Amino acid sequence: MSALQSLTAAGDWRSWAVFRRNALVFLRNWRTAVIPPAMEPVIFFVAFGIGFAGYVEDLPYRGAQINYATYVAPGLIAYTAFGTPYYEALYSAYVRMFYQKTWDGILATQVELPSVVWGEILWGAVRGMVNISIVCLVVAVFDLIGVVDVRSEFLVFMPLLGFVAGCAFASFALIFTAIVPAIDHMNYPVFLIGWPLSLISNTFFPIDPEGRVARALVQINPVYQLAESARGLLVVGDPGFHLLGLLGSATLFLVPCTLLSVRLTRRRVLGD
Amino acid sequence: MTAAILEARGLTKRYGNRVVVDHLDLACRPGTVLGLLGPNGAGKTTTLRMLYGFVPPDEGSIFYAGKLFSENRTDAKRAIGVCTQDDSLDYDFTVAQNLFIYASYFRPRVENLKQRVAELLERFELAPYADASPHVLSGGFVRRLLIARSIVHRPSVLFLDEPTTGLDPSARLDVWELIDGMRTEGLAIVLTTHYMDEAERLSDDLLVIHEGRGVVHGEPHQVIDSVLGDHVIIVPRGEPARAQIEAWLERRGAEQVATVLGELRVPVSKEDLAALTATFTDATWQVRPPNLDDLFIALARRNGRPR
Repeated sequence: MSALQSLTAAGDWRSWAVFRRNALVFLRNWRTAVIPPAMEPVIFFVAFGIGFAGYVEDLPYRGAQINYATYVAPGLIAYTAFGTPYYEALYSAYVRMFYQKTWDGILATQVELPSVVWGEILWGAVRGMVNISIVCLVVAVFDLIGVVDVRSEFLVFMPLLGFVAGCAFASFALIFTAIVPAIDHMNYPVFLIGWPLSLISNTFFPIDPEGRVARALVQINPVYQLAESARGLLVVGDPGFHLLGLLGSATLFLVPCTLLSVRLTRRRVLGD
Repeated sequence: MTAAILEARGLTKRYGNRVVVDHLDLACRPGTVLGLLGPNGAGKTTTLRMLYGFVPPDEGSIFYAGKLFSENRTDAKRAIGVCTQDDSLDYDFTVAQNLFIYASYFRPRVENLKQRVAELLERFELAPYADASPHVLSGGFVRRLLIARSIVHRPSVLFLDEPTTGLDPSARLDVWELIDGMRTEGLAIVLTTHYMDEAERLSDDLLVIHEGRGVVHGEPHQVIDSVLGDHVIIVPRGEPARAQIEAWLERRGAEQVATVLGELRVPVSKEDLAALTATFTDATWQVRPPNLDDLFIALARRNGRPR
């Protein structure tokens, strides 16, 4: 199967059949699947945006001064957009692949391996949209009571931005899913890659690295581009060039990561 | 004779320098069971995985209904049912939902799906568990559900990879009945098994694989005859003339003298049996027809070479 076929499988009915399967399981267990994971960013928001904010001065943003809670709200949306698909494609996909042998069963049908990978990517990104929506609701409530000052009409766009970035994060995570020998080894992609990627990205604090290489590394991080796009939209109603940056960096992640995931998963699951 | 619905020619698979399947030919006709037999590591599962498209062959061609699999993959996969060795049921769904969700992985969609699922639940005696999790099923019923799932889309060819491994004797017989029923309905079935009695009773054709090569092919009795001959004699552990009998047989050219729990088991021709009886008039031994157990032992001893 060519690289092009692996990439275009995103639109194939088979990828959506895998997506549908995961969505049905989610809907069966939605309370357990939604409430605990969605509470994490909410708790973060209360802890940092409200608790920690009292000790932090207002921050400069595009010529204005904004309070820390307003700064961190888009950051939490970006953090959620990263964390949900990333962990879904790491842990849940690993369980489906290794313990439940769900993929083995699916692959014995007309569904081909790139569609299994795409089904997981799309599902991870949509899971991200669900959790982002919950965070947006919380931000809207805090906006109403005056804790943050955002242009809440732009909150509806956040799940869409999250979907674009979520596809990239899920495809990235699936590389590790295909290669970790056991679930305990997930600690490597979680703590050594996931945490730095989601924290050094203008989510909770502004970063301004010195040197061209460090700057370029920050710029190609989709979490950074997403945080800045969301912040631009929510604070001043204009994402600026970060929206293009988000599309570019997400594509830069998605294409090679999907191709590599397909290759590695084929070796892992089919032994070929 | 009906034309083969599945045909493979010159199938070869290598992993590194190791040839796992070596120029294997096979065919399976509608309404028949083709048994693939061979010791562990013979290449049975790799052969199956090539046939149902998990791994591509390095050489050779596979045809479904006369069309090349590699050029007609999606349509061919619509006509294939696969029941793998491992339990790959979807434990996030109930028994009935497993059938529904599995059907959703095929296009064109399964016609009258609700009716089809109800029919399969009834036929495989799974109806009482329809709304239960597969976790409550015994090993035999898990296997029933796996088989029912693999035919939910009404395939023409069914692959069963060791369908009775780990089942108790009663559950095995139930699975045999189901396989026989599916054959009667016209399904072409490719079956791998370690159980000799299973292969012998269920298969219309047998293909014995050893070290990736097809060493014997034909109806079960032909396969046995071509490797073993007419009879097997069993000389008990306590027979005083046991050593002399063994030496005598070896002088006559018997290559396949096997010792099982102290008993001597030797396939012999009619002529050899007559000569043995005339020579050792006071000795005792049993004589029985050869079976596939003997075949396996013989193949292992002869490194897979047919006689």
